[in-house]
This record gives sequence, C-alpha cells and structure tokens, in this order.
Amino acid sequence: MRLLNFKTAAALVAIAGIALFAIVSIEVQAQATAVDPAATQILKRMTEYLASLQKFSVHTQNTLEDVLDSGHRVDFDVSANVIISRPNKLKAERSGDLINQIFYYDGKTLTLYNPSDKVYAREPVTGTIEEMLDFARESLGLIVPVADLVYRNAFPLLMQDVTFAAVVGKSVINGVKCDHLLFSRPGVDFQVWVANGSKPLPFKYVVTDTGTPALMSITTVMSDWKTSPTVADSQFVFVSPKGAKQITFMPL
Amino acid sequence: MKTILKISVVAITLALMLIADLPFLPVQLVPEADAILGVRRRTARRTAVVVGSTASAQTAAAQQQTAAAPQQAAAPQQAAAVAPPPAAAGKPLPLGTVVSALPAGCTSTPVGGVEYYYGGGNFYRAVYQGNNLVYVTAKPQ
Repeated sequence: MRLLNFKTAAALVAIAGIALFAIVSIEVQAQATAVDPAATQILKRMTEYLASLQKFSVHTQNTLEDVLDSGHRVDFDVSANVIISRPNKLKAERSGDLINQIFYYDGKTLTLYNPSDKVYAREPVTGTIEEMLDFARESLGLIVPVADLVYRNAFPLLMQDVTFAAVVGKSVINGVKCDHLLFSRPGVDFQVWVANGSKPLPFKYVVTDTGTPALMSITTVMSDWKTSPTVADSQFVFVSPKGAKQITFMPL
Repeated sequence: MKTILKISVVAITLALMLIADLPFLPVQLVPEADAILGVRRRTARRTAVVVGSTASAQTAAAQQQTAAAPQQAAAPQQAAAVAPPPAAAGKPLPLGTVVSALPAGCTSTPVGGVEYYYGGGNFYRAVYQGNNLVYVTAKPQ
C-alpha cells in the first residue's frame, strides 16, 4: 500500500509537471507569434528618424473622447503648433475647446501663457528639452503637447510591456501613404501611421484606454511636418504682452 | 487498478482545468483574474495619474497621451462640479480653496503687485494648477 502511494505521488508529480510545461509553452508560443517584427521595425525606424531631427515643426489635431456626467458622448478638439529646436528650445501653441495656451522654453525659463486670460507664469529651468519636460510634468503637473515626439529613447518606452504588434495595412493620411501599425499592452492599445519613404514621420496616433469597457480614445492627426524649419532663437523667448499679468504655478 | 483510476481522475481534472483556463474559451475559472491581480487597476491608475516619478522618463508616449486625456477632459467637468461660490456676501471660504471660475461680479484689485479678485466675501488669486488656470482664495498682503 505504501509503495502504491509512492507510485501515485510520483505519477501525480509527473502529470503536474507536464501540465505546467503545456501552459508555459502555450503562452510563450502565443507571445512569440503576437509581436510582428515588421511592425516593431517600422516603429523603430520612425523613432530613430525623429530623434535624429535637430529642428522640426508640426501641426497636430487632437480629439479627446469623453463622456459627460449626463452620460452623453462628446469629443473635445485641441489643435497645436509645435516648434522644436534641439537641444533646448521649444514652443507649443494650443487652442481648442478646453485650452488656449502657449508654452515657451528658451533654454533658461519655461513660460505658460493664456492669451485669452492675459496671464502667464514662469519658472527657471535649465537643460535639454527632455529634462525640462520631465521637470514640468513632475514638479508642475504640466502636460506639453507632442512631448512624446521629443524623447530620444521613445522606442523602448513605446515597446515597454507590448504583448501584441502588427502591421494592419497601408492607408493614406492627408495625402501621405503610411503603414498602419497596431500595438497592444495591458490597459492600452495604440495605433500609429508612419509615412513610407525616406522620411518615416508619424501622421496619426490613436491611443485607446482598454482598461475600461468604454474604450475611450485620443486621436492625434499630424500635418505640416517641417524637418528643417527656419527658426530664430527669439521665437522661443516669451515677451510679456502689454496688460498681461504674472501669476504663479501651484506646487504639486 | 485503483491507482490507475486515481491517476486518470487527477489527470482528467487537470486537463479540464487547463481547457477551462484557455483564453479562447468564454468559460473562465477565475473571471477578471487580471483585475484580482490588480493589473487592470494599476494600469488604470497609471493612465489616469499624470505620469510622475523618475520612471516617467521611461513611460511611453502612449501613456503620456492617455494621461493627458483625463486631465484635459477633466476641465469642463471640474467647471460643472465646482460651482462658483455665491456672489452675495456669503460665508468666507477657507484660505486655499480652489475654484475653476470666479464668482460673478468680482472686482480686481492689485495689492503689492499681485492681482486679487474680490467677490462674495473672498479674495482670490489666479494660479496655474498644472495646465489649468484656477482661482485660489487668498489673503492679500
């Protein structure tokens, strides 16, 4: 009887082992086939190209889906014009339903200006655009439009936790032929449309929150890309308009 | 014989559990397993909160964008939720109270180079809370 029990135990362990192996191999297989290297390669090419640009300007049109407290589905639109001059100059102008704001960074000071309210706030900062963006977000709670286009290490950031990647197909965004990519990671699905040819710029982004059943998205359509715009340093310097009043940032 | 029976029962049970746990089947032994593990909640929080911490530099663009949405979209809701205090001289609000709009009929008064707004028994000062322009009750000095 004791011998029998031992045999049973051994057999059970063996079966459990096989079952475990089966589960693991199914998962590994699923993951290996779900991330299409063709998609990640296009994304990598795009991020490397963006990082290589010393200066660029772009117009973006953002649509934020939302549900009002009344339960009605509504879209908010914000358009932005962004000019970047690496390493340390940025100007971003946003206007739309929710916001009418200009953001300046001249390498020494960041300024946020609301033209319609005629108020602005300034904060001394030094460093690269990336360092300034980190500071703005962490210390002041500021969101700067298309900040994600500026980061030089965008590729590993975008690919973090990605469980699925695919090339959906080809489409034309604002007259530009693009590869349509789809990526998924826990809680977020994102789609990117990357131009074909020698300038692999993004022309559209859709980020969907898959953490809630409503599947809300933010859509950004980019146009008017200029990869070597003529910029003057003075463009990035805020000059207080007559009658504008200085206020402060509320510390986080 | 008994042993074989025992083993096969266990094996079949294991196999059944495996099948039931396969993702393509609608049946799941532990529905919302990821929610239980906190994955979903964590993700929701990560996307809701404005990306902070040093890890934020490593946070993906996608998340930054999703982070921007609730924050930006919150503006109109906030406006609706935080009703402007009554214009008539009501009870003064505690210092540091944040409102998204000034009460009607506020008058502006510069005190020591700072613009204050007076209305409903309170002085307000304009400040940026993140990207949002808000008004905070303050004591002019």
